[in-house]
Amino acid sequence: MNIVWVDSAEDELSQQAVAFARALGGEVMPVSFAAEEAYAPAAWAQTLVELVAARGASAVLAPGSDRGNELLAHVGAKLDQPMAANCTRLEPGSPARVLRVRWGGSLLEEATIDGSPVLATVAPHAVAAEPFSEPEILSVAASASDLDRAVRVSERVQAAGAGVSLADADVVVSGGRGVGSAEGFAVIEELAELLGGAVGCSRAVTSAGWRPHSDQVGQTGTKISPEIYIACGISGATQHMAGCKGAKRILAINPDAEASILASADYAVIGDLHEIVPAISAQIRKVRGASAP
Amino acid sequence: MNILVCVKRVPLTGGRIVLTEDQRAIQTRHLGFTVSPHEECAVEEAIRLVETHGGSSTVLTLGPAEAEEQLRDMMAIGADRAIHLTTDGLEWDPQATAAAIVDAVRAAGEAFDLLLFGNESADAGNYQVAIRVAHALGLPCVTGVKALAIDGGRLRAEQEVAGGRDVYELGLPAVVTVKEGINLPRYPSVPGRMRAKRKPLEASAPQRPPARLEMQRLIVPEGPSKQAEILGHGPEAAPRVVEILQEIGVL
Amino acid sequence: MLAACLAASVTAFALRVRFLVALLRAGAPVARAGDTALRARNEGTIVLGQRKLLQRIGPGLIHAFIFWGFLVLAPTILIAMIGAVDRRDTLPWLGDQGWYALAVDIFAVLVLVGVACAFWIRKVQRPERFRGSHLGEADLILALIAVIAATLLLWHATRDALHLNEYRAAWEPVSDALSGLFSRGGATRVLERAFVWAHVVTILGFLAYLPRSKHLHIVSAAVNVWYGRTRHRGRLEPLRFDDPSVPEEQIRFGAGTSAELTWKEMLDTFTCTECGRCQDACPAYATGKVLSPKLVIMGLRDRLLADGPAIVAARSDRAGGGEGAPELEPLVPGAVPEESVWDCVTCGACVQACPVSIEHVDHIVDLRRHLVMVQSSFPPEAEPMLRDIERASNPWGKAQSERADWAADLGVRVLEAGDEPPEYLYWVGCAASFDERARAAARATAMLLARAGVDFAILGPREACTGDPARRIGNEYVFQALAEQNVQTLNEARVTKIIASCPHCFNTLSSEYPDFGGRYEVVHHSQLLARLVAQGRLKPRRASDALRITYHDSCYLARHNDVLEEPRELVAAVGEPVEMARSRRQTFCCGAGGAHMWMEERGSQINDNRVAEALATGADTLAVACPFCTVMLDDGVQGAGGRMRVADVATLLVEAGAAEP
Repeated sequence: MNIVWVDSAEDELSQQAVAFARALGGEVMPVSFAAEEAYAPAAWAQTLVELVAARGASAVLAPGSDRGNELLAHVGAKLDQPMAANCTRLEPGSPARVLRVRWGGSLLEEATIDGSPVLATVAPHAVAAEPFSEPEILSVAASASDLDRAVRVSERVQAAGAGVSLADADVVVSGGRGVGSAEGFAVIEELAELLGGAVGCSRAVTSAGWRPHSDQVGQTGTKISPEIYIACGISGATQHMAGCKGAKRILAINPDAEASILASADYAVIGDLHEIVPAISAQIRKVRGASAP
Repeated sequence: MNILVCVKRVPLTGGRIVLTEDQRAIQTRHLGFTVSPHEECAVEEAIRLVETHGGSSTVLTLGPAEAEEQLRDMMAIGADRAIHLTTDGLEWDPQATAAAIVDAVRAAGEAFDLLLFGNESADAGNYQVAIRVAHALGLPCVTGVKALAIDGGRLRAEQEVAGGRDVYELGLPAVVTVKEGINLPRYPSVPGRMRAKRKPLEASAPQRPPARLEMQRLIVPEGPSKQAEILGHGPEAAPRVVEILQEIGVL
Repeated sequence: MLAACLAASVTAFALRVRFLVALLRAGAPVARAGDTALRARNEGTIVLGQRKLLQRIGPGLIHAFIFWGFLVLAPTILIAMIGAVDRRDTLPWLGDQGWYALAVDIFAVLVLVGVACAFWIRKVQRPERFRGSHLGEADLILALIAVIAATLLLWHATRDALHLNEYRAAWEPVSDALSGLFSRGGATRVLERAFVWAHVVTILGFLAYLPRSKHLHIVSAAVNVWYGRTRHRGRLEPLRFDDPSVPEEQIRFGAGTSAELTWKEMLDTFTCTECGRCQDACPAYATGKVLSPKLVIMGLRDRLLADGPAIVAARSDRAGGGEGAPELEPLVPGAVPEESVWDCVTCGACVQACPVSIEHVDHIVDLRRHLVMVQSSFPPEAEPMLRDIERASNPWGKAQSERADWAADLGVRVLEAGDEPPEYLYWVGCAASFDERARAAARATAMLLARAGVDFAILGPREACTGDPARRIGNEYVFQALAEQNVQTLNEARVTKIIASCPHCFNTLSSEYPDFGGRYEVVHHSQLLARLVAQGRLKPRRASDALRITYHDSCYLARHNDVLEEPRELVAAVGEPVEMARSRRQTFCCGAGGAHMWMEERGSQINDNRVAEALATGADTLAVACPFCTVMLDDGVQGAGGRMRVADVATLLVEAGAAEP
């Protein structure tokens, strides 16, 4: 039996995790915590540990989200069992074999995991999402210690910035070193606004002080999954591409026809972004103006 | 306050990853190295906390002899001392890594008020070393922190979630993992680099236990073998771009 | 009475000079020895011959009159002092020579003409280069010179009227003519005394004033010219971080306070006449930025003189065994505004324009060094470059493993460790390796070299950045680490000859790497290609409807290293050359130097200024020989909506068929 911790039945990554679990064969038991329960990773993990013992689970899985990874790491620590994070494949066995993600997705690792139960989180977008019926709702086990309960969310503070959230945006327009300056981002902002999207940037831009880190797309920044990612003046370093693996389509605007990003992009326009991006914005306005009554 | 920060030496990979012949490692012959990004911010955070609250910071790594470079770099920006748990270059899995760190913490003369880690290392990305260390030491652990404040033995941490930030409040001592963006690491001064060469570095060579999560080989993913369709050159491509945007439905 | 005045004046002069010399001796050391023949020649051409002043013929001649006049008239100071004591006495032999009297007459008039023209320039023409200069002080000095020359003539006139001279009055026609104003009587006798005393007192007063004003240059200029760079104008003075005799706290990391300036930098500031030619030549100033090289030197001078007593006192304190370290205000922003420090593109136009061999780039780089290395203070947009150049060995942060990708399909030999060295090592440079516009020149060069049968190889991933951007932005420490690494690679590979297509690489490899044990014969690709064309090993075809091509001289090639003609030979071989006004060593920077390739939108406006000039020639093509110039000028042409094509001379050669079998 495979226990799958899920965030909710509507959450896409959770649906992917359940699909992943189903492919293993055997019973799949999605579990979640009551909405009123403040997130408390160690206490929740203790609850899962008890559940494992109670149900004789052979595997505990979770989506490879921040919370999923954290929870299963706690479960692994409590049970002193190995945990494989961000797996794209899992073959039960002794030992079990996994294919897991490294470098934010730019590299894969074949590994053996010698533990019981098998603890693994599912790499986002490794499998297609499958709907599942309501998970079993858990409440925090009595055996959770004071230490376990000490770390819990006390409040949620709303995000300061206005505008579209980078992680949720359907359209992201990003600028890299090629933008040249903080002021140069005006054309990027313009296009993003026209498309109702969010503005992103590469790590060099953050390091140069042109945009805040909250705009950074990449392995150590925000991971995005828009319908289209428009990357302007970005060469395509692996740690940046790790942040936009979830993008459905990528349009690269770059002066260099040999930039590495073109090997990952669906479309490209070769040339200077300072000319091309405003031209696209102008064309959008034109097309909208023409269709307006 | 006494702060321990754990860091890892990782390569700077560039535009594509190339593997060694046996496919068990990245070909790093012509690559530069750095401290993993989240961790560099952890070190900067530790230095700032020490600047505000007094005390000292220790930077620790489990890694090959070359990792001393990263320890000296972190001491150059202000860490006071270093602990080098040397390996022969072979990877240690997260449980073994955590155990070695726990042993080092117990062996260290002083008690740490705060143990800082990066949320996950850039290369292996196992997301769990800090949590295992916290368990072994009986300490609370909060992860993915983007803002940290300490006041009178208590810690307030903010963790980024969809739509906002979750706030945690705990007492010290504690384990915290941070994410890049919590601060901008400072650039080392040359006097700082020179002092770093003379700052105390304690090295030991722990025994590598058998791995329970063991890498067999690495694979560079094929990717959906795209070769980008070139829509045009320069601003003349704009109409074609807009057509595509319309087709996708984002316009 | 004369003795008293003389003693007072000389003492006043000497005390001040002693203070200034004590300051110089407290300055940080810098090696400016050797090349005596060249230094002597510079004294002849620059000082005596006024060569640099004559770069502007009008003001140059004005100054030359005054200066040569001063030289010719110098003995008249003695004559006047002798004559002040005894009207009948004069300097033995010289004082009686008619031809000398003639010379004195002519030059005294030339001095007055010079002064009059100088006043006209300053008061009527009012050129921009004097903005920020102390005009009042200059007026006073000019007035004093005029008084000295005028009193001399008038004194001679009265002497002629009184027939006091051994030589005939006709020898000094001007004085003779003036003598008509004076009768032979008692009033003239009084006037003769009055004029000689006025003359002597003015001179003695001037002597005391001299070392307290910018007129000090008449003493310091000759010394400053002697100690100027004789060769390797593009080489910066290295700092030493590992001198065992220097305790760590005393290591010099550039100039944070005036006490940390080198003695040459201090001497530079004493020698500045505030003429503003450097300001006029500066591309940053020309495009409205804060930087004026003149104001930098003046600011440093004023700060240094104000700090002087403390510095000198601390030094004698230390000599006596004390701890003495003067508490001084930081030079930035105290003496020089921060923007000035970062505006500089290290093009050297200021150094070239300066008539008294001030080397402004040294001051600016030393200020940067302290800001970057000690205070970690630099424009934030340069941070990625600084981190990448150290961690990834190139300023673009690309993977070195991809460095030879540009050559993948060209069959270029990549030199591995242990291989037999080629005749030439082609040093490609980071820009050509990683930037799409600069890459074309490297590909063209490789094709041409192959066609001509040149035995060459590239280092590929083992070629780390030469470190030029790090050095120019002020991080000497990171630069030296890269230099040492590269020298080791090159020496182990037994490289003797290097071709560089980037002038910055060329400059660093040829003039700066010898300081780190790297001695190679370095040629710029245009030099080797020109040689190959001349030898007939490359045969470019010049089309009948040849394009009009204007060539832009790269600062690091032309001004710092005198590579002027070879690129022009290549241009002439493929098209019809047309020169811009600001060409050869008078070239105008593209704006990327001094690490500006990585700062504030990459030297905006400097490139626009240059591109406007290029477009005005009406040429079809703008030929360059530098990857930075390629990118900056291409940006500029596109920004101006121009139709000019920017291309490297190697690319043009290939397009003229030179690489075809």
